[in-house]
Amino acid sequence: MAQLACAQMPLRSLWRCRISPPSTEALRSYNQQQWRHESILGALSDIPSSYNKRIRVGRGPSSGYGKTSGRGHKGQKQHGKVPAGFEGGQTPVEKIHGERGFVNVHTKDFAIVPLTRIQSWIAQGRLASDRPITPRELIISRCVSDAKDGIKLLARSKSHDCSLNAQGPLTIPLNIVVSRASSSAIEAVEKAGGKVLTRYYTRWAMEQIVKNKMDPIQSLRSEPVDTEDMDTSKYQYRLPDATSRKAIEYYRDATHRGYLAYTVGEHEGPSLFHKPPRNITREEIEEKKRLRGTSGQVQKTKLNMDANKMW
Amino acid sequence: MAAQQAATSLRGVQTKCLRSMARDPLMQCLLPRFQQRNMATESSVLSTSTSSLTPFISISTPLSHRPPPPVPQILATLYTFPSMEPQSFVEYPAAHLNVPLRRDILHRAVVYEGDKARQGSANAKWRSDVHGSGRKLLPQKGTGRARVGDKKSPIRRGGGVAHGPKPRDFSTGLPKKIYDLAWRTALSYRYRRGELVVIGEMEDIDNAEPRWIEQIFDKVNFGKRDGRSLIVTGTKLPNLYAALAGTYGVGLAKTGDAIDVKDLLEMGRIVIEKQVLDSIFKKHSSDIIGTVPSAVGI
Repeated sequence: MAQLACAQMPLRSLWRCRISPPSTEALRSYNQQQWRHESILGALSDIPSSYNKRIRVGRGPSSGYGKTSGRGHKGQKQHGKVPAGFEGGQTPVEKIHGERGFVNVHTKDFAIVPLTRIQSWIAQGRLASDRPITPRELIISRCVSDAKDGIKLLARSKSHDCSLNAQGPLTIPLNIVVSRASSSAIEAVEKAGGKVLTRYYTRWAMEQIVKNKMDPIQSLRSEPVDTEDMDTSKYQYRLPDATSRKAIEYYRDATHRGYLAYTVGEHEGPSLFHKPPRNITREEIEEKKRLRGTSGQVQKTKLNMDANKMW
Repeated sequence: MAAQQAATSLRGVQTKCLRSMARDPLMQCLLPRFQQRNMATESSVLSTSTSSLTPFISISTPLSHRPPPPVPQILATLYTFPSMEPQSFVEYPAAHLNVPLRRDILHRAVVYEGDKARQGSANAKWRSDVHGSGRKLLPQKGTGRARVGDKKSPIRRGGGVAHGPKPRDFSTGLPKKIYDLAWRTALSYRYRRGELVVIGEMEDIDNAEPRWIEQIFDKVNFGKRDGRSLIVTGTKLPNLYAALAGTYGVGLAKTGDAIDVKDLLEMGRIVIEKQVLDSIFKKHSSDIIGTVPSAVGI
């Protein structure tokens, strides 16, 4: 019987697998039979532990949720709900102590990138050192997992004792474009012959930059570059510029390597409000001191005393 | 006793015969469910004879230091459409086309797709959304009638709907690696049952008449009595799509970017163009590829 079943197996299999019609007449008769396709969709189910059994309250003592249905005895808690924070009439703790502190809605939250991590990424072949390292490269290579409001470059362990992959001091010249950079990071990059440019980014802008819909570096107010291969028309959107005074002042500052530093005139400072202190020569200071000398002061007070005389 | 021995030996011969048949590429393609199943969890059994062992693997080697077992390739036949003539064979890795069936993963993928497909646009007006005044209809006391508020109350005709539906997002999440595994699990399941037909290059049919495609489907056992077929092509073929749209209960034609896991499980078989199958494997392999995100060469 078993042998018979074995001998039939190829035929049965052929009959189930009706990709190409077999040519023999015997199989043709199998083909005339109908068979109903049964989809697996009705037999799908997640593993049993993914489902929780519904708790049926008030259905007898053996369930454990029988008599009081898990609500205990008497009072407001049994019959309805008690307001959140209500302590039975006693002055609630949040009323005694109140709120402390506040949430600063204007603060910018920057994602931090240590220079050592960039070094490590370059060593792993995840970042190319011969091209500008912009937020696009940093985000795509997951050097930054969440770019937040912008990317800030820090130097973290600049010379030695690097936790990441035991990188030595930075020796490769890098061209890094980020939102902010610390002075020590700028120093470390420039010492290796590279350069840092800080420029204005927003969350949305960085999303578009990753999608290659926006230029990662050049915006309308950027310093014009006279390279012919710069084709801005391939991007769908324009990179936004800093508009708030605080941001403009940051990027006008050459010590931050800001992208607007080129707009600062010869006798101007980065601030849009305060004038920079005028450069005073040593002779001028001497002259002032001489004029304001002790004899002069005495004379002045004498003069004033005379003027105040009533008699 | 003798008869029993003879039966045993006969069974042995049969098994050997079946195995050799299963190794035959043609047999493997025609009858994929008949071949030896190479599940992903399967490991090669070490035989007792030392002759079968390669020199660099010895029994004393710890299990973790042994090279992984070779990944078997799965053979599929390329057919022409609509003549359904076998053209050639094509190999796929077992991780693509011989993934063990996981009903729970298929279930999660189908539920995820269903949730994602829900429009969630049902919208009813609550009492605050109904146009009208908040004027109290009757005085609170003295009328002898029940207390009433404004005319927008849910208990009144023309009032708002109490807790009515508002537009919302029903979509749920599923890890990408699980979803990708589900795609290949569905295709593997179909392949093992002989319900995955790979077409080298799909050609349009000559006529957009529904009867035309019905007769073709009847001829190649794709039609209504064979559990219907899903045709998946890279681009829309005008005659084929128009003809199938005019039929009922015969089959469905969809482009590769319009199908999902549920589509792969629904009909009697999947007739899929090779380029679409390849693109599915390329797109849905995140759980086996394991790439390191890199910005070099972007």
